[in-house]
Amino acid sequence: MRRVSNTAIASVTVVALCSGTWLLHNGAQVHPPPQPSAAQAGTGDALRQGAPALRHSPPERIRIPSIGVNAPLMGLGLTPQGSLDVPPAGEKNLAGWYQAGTTPGERGTAIVAGHVDNANGPAVFYNLGALKKGSAIEVARRDGGTALFTVDAVEVYAARDFPDEKVYGAASRPELRVITCGGDYSKATGYQGNVVVFAHLTGSR
Amino acid sequence: MRRTARLLTGTALAVAAVGLATAPAYGGSTESLEVFPSTVVPGADVTVNTAACGTDGTATGDASAVGAGIFILAASAHEQDAIGQFKVPPSAQPGTYEIVAKCSQGRQVTGDLIVNLTATREQIHLPRGHVNTGVGGALGPDPVQTAAGVAALAVAAAGGTWLLHRRARGDGI
Repeated sequence: MRRVSNTAIASVTVVALCSGTWLLHNGAQVHPPPQPSAAQAGTGDALRQGAPALRHSPPERIRIPSIGVNAPLMGLGLTPQGSLDVPPAGEKNLAGWYQAGTTPGERGTAIVAGHVDNANGPAVFYNLGALKKGSAIEVARRDGGTALFTVDAVEVYAARDFPDEKVYGAASRPELRVITCGGDYSKATGYQGNVVVFAHLTGSR
Repeated sequence: MRRTARLLTGTALAVAAVGLATAPAYGGSTESLEVFPSTVVPGADVTVNTAACGTDGTATGDASAVGAGIFILAASAHEQDAIGQFKVPPSAQPGTYEIVAKCSQGRQVTGDLIVNLTATREQIHLPRGHVNTGVGGALGPDPVQTAAGVAALAVAAAGGTWLLHRRARGDGI
């Protein structure tokens, strides 16, 4: 049997040492989820009319092709404190919608929320903050149709100064909000706010 | 209660309509009260107009069914309609309400106003405050990268040990 040369062993050893060190170092780095830039903030085009409103029909899935989201939607209620409840944190590819409110595609403000991460790492809306104005959001509905939304703005709001009316308030056209955690993060208090995507209905199929 | 009242009003109107039908024709399209928008949410402003009161006709409007009370329809240049406005109270409940206008000459016309809550959902509690949708799990060490790093370092250690063994055996390193 031909002996493995010392050079080969030394090369593998050096490569393994370097890559191992790099992996350990990089793996320990903090990788915060993407946050929207100021350029994605709202421009007040809320009066622009979109597509005609659809009938009431509960949503089943949300798809956001530009950030690779394709997740089922569960119904959400409110917590005893009155905030929107969230899907179980263990399910990393699951989002929810506020089922006492407007259904996506209907006239008014429909609300969808999902986790940015859980204890094991990134979750369904990890890249929500990377959405841009004009990005497409699709909501598949129980009536078999799909409501097509176009992003108007992507904002970050601090938890202690959350604009309830702007995010949850009534709209005269069919609108959608997609919410996840965001803003600054501290170990003691977690994420300090929410990323909120504002979109309006621009079509259906 | 309201339904009963509505039924009675409807009956009265039907009787009146029969009366009108037997009377000399007045021209069909002028008989009604136009309500715009005809479907509103509580708190909305509503405009009504009618041509039934004739040129320069004014009328007294009654929107008390929806809780908005009495209002005045003034004569306008617009197609010689009498026009008036009222505000639907924010506390109005969903339903169909009859809005009445009585011309100064005595004729009465009615139109329907539908109040619904789909745009505002005032009776439903909207969420308040921020949403707890993250714990920072994406921010800590990446377990996959960490495991790969540990494995690579183990390979490096094995390689190093092998080389040291060879040197100890005098294999010429």
